[in-house]
Amino acid sequence: MDVIKNPNKIAGEQSIAALYNDGKVRKRREWRGLKDTMYDFGRWLHIWGILVNVSMGRGFIKGLFRYRWMANYLAVPHMVDKFTVGQRDETLKITHTAIDYVVYEVATIVKGCLRGDRFAGNDKKLSDRTVAVDENAMTAYMMGFPTLFAAQREVPTLFSANLINQYSAVHYIDVAQAFGIPGDVCPMPETEAGVSIEDDLCVIGKCAVQVNTTCDGSMMGNGIMARRLEEDYGIPTFQLAAPIRFKSEDVQKYAAEDIKKAIAFIEDQTGAKWDWKHYFECAKRVNNTTRNRLEWLDINSTPYPQFVGAVFCLYNDTNYMGNCGRNPEFPSIDEKIMKLVQKGYQNKQMMAPEYRHRCVVWGVEPHFVFDMLYWMMLCWGVVPLTDMLSMVIKDQIADEDTPENREQAYYDMAYLVENMIMRNHTHGGYEALLDELWECCDKMNADMVMLWEHIGCKALTGMHGMFEEQARERGIHLVWVSHDLCDPRIYTRQAIRDQFNQYMRTVMREEPLDPSIEVLPDSYAW
Amino acid sequence: MRDLKHLYYFENLLQITNNDLISQAKSEGKKCVAYLCENTPEPLLNLAGCFGVRLFAPQTGSMDIATYYMTSLLCETCRALLERSIEGGFNFADCLIAPDGCTMINRCAENIELLRAMGKDNDHFFYEHMEVPLKADDNGVELLVLQCKNHILNPLHENYGIDVSEAAIREAVTLHNKVCRLIREIGDFRKEANPRITGYEFAILTLATYVCPKYLLIDKLTETLEELKTREPDENKYRARLLVVGSEMDDPGFIKLIEETGAYVCADRYCFGSLPGRDEIKLSDDEDALTSVCRHYVYECQCPRQMNMDKVYSRKQYINDLAREYGADGILYNQIKFCDPWAYEKALGSAILREKYDYPVLAVDRPYNINSSAGQMRTRVQAFIESIEIKNIQGRGKHGCD
Repeated sequence: MDVIKNPNKIAGEQSIAALYNDGKVRKRREWRGLKDTMYDFGRWLHIWGILVNVSMGRGFIKGLFRYRWMANYLAVPHMVDKFTVGQRDETLKITHTAIDYVVYEVATIVKGCLRGDRFAGNDKKLSDRTVAVDENAMTAYMMGFPTLFAAQREVPTLFSANLINQYSAVHYIDVAQAFGIPGDVCPMPETEAGVSIEDDLCVIGKCAVQVNTTCDGSMMGNGIMARRLEEDYGIPTFQLAAPIRFKSEDVQKYAAEDIKKAIAFIEDQTGAKWDWKHYFECAKRVNNTTRNRLEWLDINSTPYPQFVGAVFCLYNDTNYMGNCGRNPEFPSIDEKIMKLVQKGYQNKQMMAPEYRHRCVVWGVEPHFVFDMLYWMMLCWGVVPLTDMLSMVIKDQIADEDTPENREQAYYDMAYLVENMIMRNHTHGGYEALLDELWECCDKMNADMVMLWEHIGCKALTGMHGMFEEQARERGIHLVWVSHDLCDPRIYTRQAIRDQFNQYMRTVMREEPLDPSIEVLPDSYAW
Repeated sequence: MRDLKHLYYFENLLQITNNDLISQAKSEGKKCVAYLCENTPEPLLNLAGCFGVRLFAPQTGSMDIATYYMTSLLCETCRALLERSIEGGFNFADCLIAPDGCTMINRCAENIELLRAMGKDNDHFFYEHMEVPLKADDNGVELLVLQCKNHILNPLHENYGIDVSEAAIREAVTLHNKVCRLIREIGDFRKEANPRITGYEFAILTLATYVCPKYLLIDKLTETLEELKTREPDENKYRARLLVVGSEMDDPGFIKLIEETGAYVCADRYCFGSLPGRDEIKLSDDEDALTSVCRHYVYECQCPRQMNMDKVYSRKQYINDLAREYGADGILYNQIKFCDPWAYEKALGSAILREKYDYPVLAVDRPYNINSSAGQMRTRVQAFIESIEIKNIQGRGKHGCD
């Protein structure tokens, strides 16, 4: 591709290298010029406001002393700093608007979980109208239950805790391995299992619904957690089956029927009744989310992408999976982001001094846990246009309440569950993983693929050779970057960056835009 | 004991994938339906005019090419099968039926398909990937019926003119049940206090029923059963009776290794084993044969991919029931290295069988070909047997068993 140079000088300091030392906390805040530094500082205070609000909630103090993972939340502001590194103007505002709302959403979940937790807040009324759900699942089957709280218990214990502190999962991985689960499985469900084995999940809910989400490991880990819920706490669980070969027409009825069963289970257990009016309101919001996301992707396919990186992915993840149209506040956040994206595009806003390569990020991604995607731009001028997890729902679902649409709705919910983030590429046959990558490259005008090779992900590594051969046939630069998701003992942050550095130097024969950040002392940084 | 008359014959059949019986069936004009995974309803592959062969890769050595395609962190069974197919070892097959039993077997089949590693020079060759239910319920039965029609019966009929009628399926089930009956009758001798068949011998016979045309085995299996009825067992020489549970295992060498340490493998609850793989399928006049076959596979399945909690609990209960029925002193959970479903099932199953049912349990992972790490495995099994013996000496033996 032709190199695009940024005609504008970046305000404030020119390199982020000075921010890092070997500690958990950075040396100082980034100087982005007066306007952006003040804006960023204001948002930093806003994040602290959210945290203070959580700490005022019922059960917070008890939870703080009971749960190992709670201490991580003191580092939330550092996580936000990680995602805004090097950003200015609209880019900074887009990231803050998105990630700050994600923080608010997660804080709401943490607050709710602690309030209803038998060992912390013990709010029985809340617990009785709570359904414990998988963190990595599309919560479509909750769209018609406006009075129920969907508690994603694993979000605060694993997913968001790991975004904040990369080492948060290590203890639980060790617990799971001591129980007998081998070290070669994906550490994500292994951590979830470890948390459950150690009895470190909030105990909340009248019942629980589990889904076979992204992989065999995730499906199998559910059994360990369900046993804890059922045998120790008397919380009945329902296993919702989402077909593996979900692209085939001949599995859709099976999936829709199981959605019906899940809804009936929740009704039986909680006494709540399915509300079609609310369902279709949620469906409208899901469609709105899809329209907006596709428009952002359209802009990212131009020479001036605007909403990219880990936050693009995290925002989509939160918006679709945990929310799934249920939160009426998301459309206004979408709208704010859309205005900023359009403004940035009109101004030809760039995020680095130079764009050299247009890159699609594929595979099972650890880029939430550090600032890799922003670093790629700043260090090598490689723009991450989109990522596998953000290439999610494409189709609109029925959103008008008619008798026909009420039947269609079960198929739509099945469609959402089958196509949940990550699962829609790790399952569904090679077409979903391989062919859709090349389609994505064409659509986004990419010349490079950064392929996160999660060594514990069998669905991905099982296609290793095919990725290589097909990338070669298409003339696309394919950079393998291996990692072990939430276990940084296997691949440190620098070991991950080194793989990218080596490819850029030895295969592409390029020099970095900013050599001072090729190696960063951030292995322990929050 | 005197050697079984046909043991050598059966052992020889298992030395290569394209064995003499496959050649014989092919020369009779029958089509070979290759398949992967125990979740494939076998009788549907043994309709008149075709025969099913579950793929395996005996004598596997290097897996370098498959490792390039699938990395070194994938299940060795899958890599061995891919390697063998790339080598051309499965070119006798006329189609490949691949249920999505687990992610890795799915990727294995997809690599074979993308590389066109099977079906060379056969214009009618087809690959079919099918969904298999994740739960044991009637919704799952309905799904499996549809999947079998779309991905087994219709393609067989359209490509090879195979008769897929109700009568043909009933006939295939009769053949299947006949083989199952023979294997189970032979296997029942393992319940004896002083058994007249070794676990290794039984593993050879059972494996043959998966990888050879069934109808060509009946004579020799029948003869073996008759021979066993009068076979004089040795004096009881076994140190402990073990129930082997676990993932895909098509290597009788593993059973041999266990028995070389002084144990007796009294029951086999693994893929390619007889429990429940060689349970008869019950047909009734009230239901079509296809639905009955699918109902059997959905409800009798002991694969950890079935995730409803009733099944999760009942799998352990099933192990307990088998251990009692076959008089096991201990349980050996084995998992092919890098298998995710069995990694979790092994951990949870070991914990429950120890804590709830009070059995001594050994949990191991193993390579595809046991010869590649026989020493380590032997040491672990020996230590396990010694621990059982010590418990017996201390009067704490026969945990949970009568």
